[in-house]
Amino acid sequence: MLNGLKAVLYREYTVFRKRAVKQIISSSVPPLLFLIAFGWGLGRQVNVGDLPYISFLVPGLIAMNSLNQCFAISAEINIARFYFHTFDEYLIAPVSEYEVVLGLTIFGMFRGFLSTLIIFIYTLLFGVQLILNPVFFIALAMHAFIFSALAVTTSMLVQDHSGQNLVTSFVITPMIFLCGTFFPVDKLPTAFKYLVLALPLTYSTKVIRATLTGGAVQYGYIYVLLIYCIIFFITAIWTLKRVEA
Amino acid sequence: MVKDIVLKTTNLRKSYGKTTAVDGIDLSFHTGEFVGLLGPNGAGKTTTIKMLSGLTKPTDGSITYFGLDFHSNQRFAKGVIGCVPQINNLDRDLTAYENMYHHALLYNVKDDSTNEKIMIALEFADLINYTHRQVKTFSGGTMRRLVIARALLHEPKLLFLDEPTVGLDPQIRRDIWDYILKVNQVKNTTILLTTHYIEEAERLCKRVLIINKGRIIAEGVPDTLKKDMGRYVLEVFKQEGIEERFFETRNEALASLKECQETCKIREVTLEDVFLKLTGRRIDA
Repeated sequence: MLNGLKAVLYREYTVFRKRAVKQIISSSVPPLLFLIAFGWGLGRQVNVGDLPYISFLVPGLIAMNSLNQCFAISAEINIARFYFHTFDEYLIAPVSEYEVVLGLTIFGMFRGFLSTLIIFIYTLLFGVQLILNPVFFIALAMHAFIFSALAVTTSMLVQDHSGQNLVTSFVITPMIFLCGTFFPVDKLPTAFKYLVLALPLTYSTKVIRATLTGGAVQYGYIYVLLIYCIIFFITAIWTLKRVEA
Repeated sequence: MVKDIVLKTTNLRKSYGKTTAVDGIDLSFHTGEFVGLLGPNGAGKTTTIKMLSGLTKPTDGSITYFGLDFHSNQRFAKGVIGCVPQINNLDRDLTAYENMYHHALLYNVKDDSTNEKIMIALEFADLINYTHRQVKTFSGGTMRRLVIARALLHEPKLLFLDEPTVGLDPQIRRDIWDYILKVNQVKNTTILLTTHYIEEAERLCKRVLIINKGRIIAEGVPDTLKKDMGRYVLEVFKQEGIEERFFETRNEALASLKECQETCKIREVTLEDVFLKLTGRRIDA
């Protein structure tokens, strides 16, 4: 039972173990630069509501960095599909598509959590106070699940590496900048406000920020994230079923 | 003795837009057979293997393994086949053992015997000294052996080998041939091998299917296919090209050679000649 899931996790874990140092270092640099530039540099002069900007920024950085790390698996799947053809092993093996998607998604989540741990270490160094509670971990898990499943879907839909770059440029990067990671969504022009309300990052960032800064959590957003989890997971399975080598 | 039909296809077809890669082929393989699918590049060999292994979906036609429809019994069917693709699709960051273990998990090789099976498979492939070395340090021939060993780990009933020796030097190619023959003879694994190397098809395959433009244009035992042409060929090198004349005996060919004004050469008939006669072009053209 679940041999496909075990196989995917074994492969991802074994490869990660060998690349761990490089991957951890590479995922540590961007949030540090953001903290220095926007947290220390710009943020000392600015407040968002009652919060110092750096306290507002850290949850956004967690959302952004974990999203980036989760979504990065799409590039790796792409290389496995188009360059090394190792992904073909999953297509010809007697395993269900849902097991493969689940395995890849869980690994993406692991990377998302690891990047969050790195930011927590930074917050200790920068003296940022955060409140940890179970709702935060639930929200982060859903957030990581959604963007890992999206990464699998993307890697199944694109036909080459340039297609992958297009998705990053036109979907992921705008989402990161517009969905409340660096500034409140209500500061956006009305048209953009409606646009970002359709994107899952808006909701995960709000819940993550509310839990970490002691704000009021809107539990309706958790249900919205759950719906996104289901839709994105089913979509990933659907795209994998249709993929051909 | 009636042997099991391992694989049967009916009117198998694959089109990409207006291009037809495989144009309605019927195949039937029995237990223990060694069959070659011989044809030039672009004939439809790899597309056929991709459809048979589940990498791509047929546009039309049916595939059955042991009488069961492939599409509706995918878990069973994928469990009884092993596939060696043209490209060495190994995880280069992993060791030989780790690649094998990953495959063992995918194919649900039982936990208590996994280690033993992996070591036996590596031993059979003469790779025991490479067990814990990273694949990225292997030569092309060693990688090829590992890909074949991996495909055999779950003891498939049918093994697909897609151009298994392409790009390898002659000595390594012969080593791989010996290994493949051992698999067929010792394990009684049915093998379907695609190739555009005449020598490979003649040396390994008990039955050959000649494919061109997505269709099977001839089928039979290599010797029989060749015998239909005659046993010897006299090549006459003319200004406009090489003319080939076929003879039943060497003496007949020699008699013709004596009357020849141009440069001439006698050789035995090969499957290349069969292909040339059927299609008007060479396999490697």
